Amino acid sequence: MEDVAMLTDYQLLVVIVNFGLGSKVLKICKQEGIQGGTIVLGKGTHHQPLLEFLELADTRKEVVLMITPLRYVNKALESLDEKLKLHKPNHGIAFVIPVMKFMGMGKYDRDFKSHEGGHIMTEYQAIFTVVDKGRGQDVVDAATKAGAKGATIIGARGSGIHETSKLFNMEVEPEKEMVLILVKHDIIKEVIDQISTDLELEKPGNGILFVQEVHQTYGIR
Amino acid sequence: MSLLFSKLKENIFAMIPIIVIVFLLHLTVVPLPMEVLIRFVIGALFIIIGLSLFLIGVDLAITPLGSLTGEQITKTHKLWFVLLAGLVLGFFISVAEPGLLVFANQVEFVTEGALQSHVILIMVSIGLAILVALGFLRIIFNIPLFKILLVLYIIIGIMAMFSSPTFLAIAFDASGATTGVLAVPFLLALSVGISRLKRNSKASEKDSFGLVAIASAGAIMSLLALGFFTRNLTLSDTLGLDEPITDLWLPFVLELPVSISDTLVALSPILGIFLLMQLMGFKLKRRPLFRMIKGFIYAMLGLFIFLLGVNAGFMEVGQLLGETLASKNLKWLMVIAGFFIGLFTIIAEPAVSVLTHQIEDITAGYVKRRLVLIPLSIGVGFAISISMLRIIIPGLELWHILLPGYLLSLAMMFIVPKLFVGIAFDAGGVATGPLTATFTLAFVQGAANAYDSASVVIDGFGMIPLVALAPIITLQILGLVYKIRTRKAGI
Repeated sequence: MEDVAMLTDYQLLVVIVNFGLGSKVLKICKQEGIQGGTIVLGKGTHHQPLLEFLELADTRKEVVLMITPLRYVNKALESLDEKLKLHKPNHGIAFVIPVMKFMGMGKYDRDFKSHEGGHIMTEYQAIFTVVDKGRGQDVVDAATKAGAKGATIIGARGSGIHETSKLFNMEVEPEKEMVLILVKHDIIKEVIDQISTDLELEKPGNGILFVQEVHQTYGIR
Repeated sequence: MSLLFSKLKENIFAMIPIIVIVFLLHLTVVPLPMEVLIRFVIGALFIIIGLSLFLIGVDLAITPLGSLTGEQITKTHKLWFVLLAGLVLGFFISVAEPGLLVFANQVEFVTEGALQSHVILIMVSIGLAILVALGFLRIIFNIPLFKILLVLYIIIGIMAMFSSPTFLAIAFDASGATTGVLAVPFLLALSVGISRLKRNSKASEKDSFGLVAIASAGAIMSLLALGFFTRNLTLSDTLGLDEPITDLWLPFVLELPVSISDTLVALSPILGIFLLMQLMGFKLKRRPLFRMIKGFIYAMLGLFIFLLGVNAGFMEVGQLLGETLASKNLKWLMVIAGFFIGLFTIIAEPAVSVLTHQIEDITAGYVKRRLVLIPLSIGVGFAISISMLRIIIPGLELWHILLPGYLLSLAMMFIVPKLFVGIAFDAGGVATGPLTATFTLAFVQGAANAYDSASVVIDGFGMIPLVALAPIITLQILGLVYKIRTRKAGI
């Protein structure tokens, strides 16, 4: 944990649960102090030959991604485990990934100190940007302007501290787009700056951005 | 939980309220014959199993096929090809719709042969085909849905002014009959496939809806046009309703061939499209190909079991309930029971399930399934209540409700978020599926048959247009609520 904590104070908490539980996960985590999260729809499978033959093995999943300071992680995980019984089989999984840089939530961490210590292990880093639906393309345009070669836009929903609403007692999260961009570390600063200026990420409510270390890449040149 | 169990669970929950309300009525005011009740329970079981299998089939085969087809058509980059594909797809999907065939036969019967069933079938299919092509163009050229709908409904309004009020009901009924159990998932997926290629994700999301709505307008227009050419229509006032059968199993045996042929006829054009596209366009690999073939088997089996359950177990219960309530002159109970029957049957409608899941997928869970179901059910509940009121109050004509209703829904389009305009108008076509068109319709027709001052033809045909109208209004209200409630706070 020592090593990880040196990168940033922030962690990416990932929870994968059955479809329909995503909003609940987000709600539980918000109660434990986490400020917001993004939910992506996914598909998972059971490994049973008969079900696979019958094409019944697929289940719909929700992947909840939350960026949070380290101090909230354990409490949130404990609370999730207690309420959703994650320790039982087929009740979902959760894991934590360190984050190298993070901005959004009105706080812009331009501090690159973790780099100076010679911690860069690979050539590439992954930039995740979460913005309101329809602005994903703007993120891609900004990144391309700064030299990024490509990007992937993933449809998602999510809510931060500015967005909480209920309809008929059901949590409703606005639509988002998550943009995944892999860039070389020598241009990462330009790309992030460009995205941040074009989308005004310093202002609250415009989106968040975080960077993760990538260990191996295939298919990009 | 695997796919099968989650679908079964979903459909069991969808069926329980209908079973409860029928038993409640049975124990209080409408005692049903024992064999009818047993058949109803068996029918409900068939519907649960059939619906689950069918929906799995839709997920595995029909939705992927539709969106792949839409994508392939658009990728050709040839305008003439897109138009041609729209015409061909629209025509064959409509011609093979079992609901439309039943409807055409009914209209021939009611108009005493003045409108022949094959003429209706072909005219409606042509109308639908033209408008499906128009719908394709709309998505490609980014023409806002509300403008198209506004123009279409103004044309319908003008045409409606020159046709007789009774024929109006039949014309609006056609829109419900064409957008059936297979056409809807396929059309929905087609528009998703075309709009998925758009760079602008907001436009792509909005344009994923609306094709069903445009297609239904085509059916209304073609039938109204047909009405002009056949003047002096005389309408009979019976529908030839069936008598209850006392043998427990006989209805299932009698309905067996009907359900098989309906299933095969309905699936054949989509299977044809599949084979054609596989040979020409997609060249699917082994794994996805087998997946799709298995999906077709699920869909076929499921649809067959579902139709058998509906036709043999549910229809007569609906009719008996309506008849008994009306003959006992329990006016208020008719209206209230109508509300709940409408409210609950719509949840078990196959196309509704497909639409709500699609909404969830496209909006990544932003618009939740349950949130769409609530206003949809309430809307349909009101539609059935109003149908019952029309039976009780002879002076209340269909256009008295349709005209303000459509004016309101067209006006709302200007303030509602555009995504919800598409969802709402699509839901209008989706709501009138096989369960509503048999069980609920039988309930209303039964009531109209037994009520002295009512006519089975006028009041019976008037129900479907109301069911198609109500969700358009209630879902647009949901859109407004969303607009107000999901604004960002504190910035």
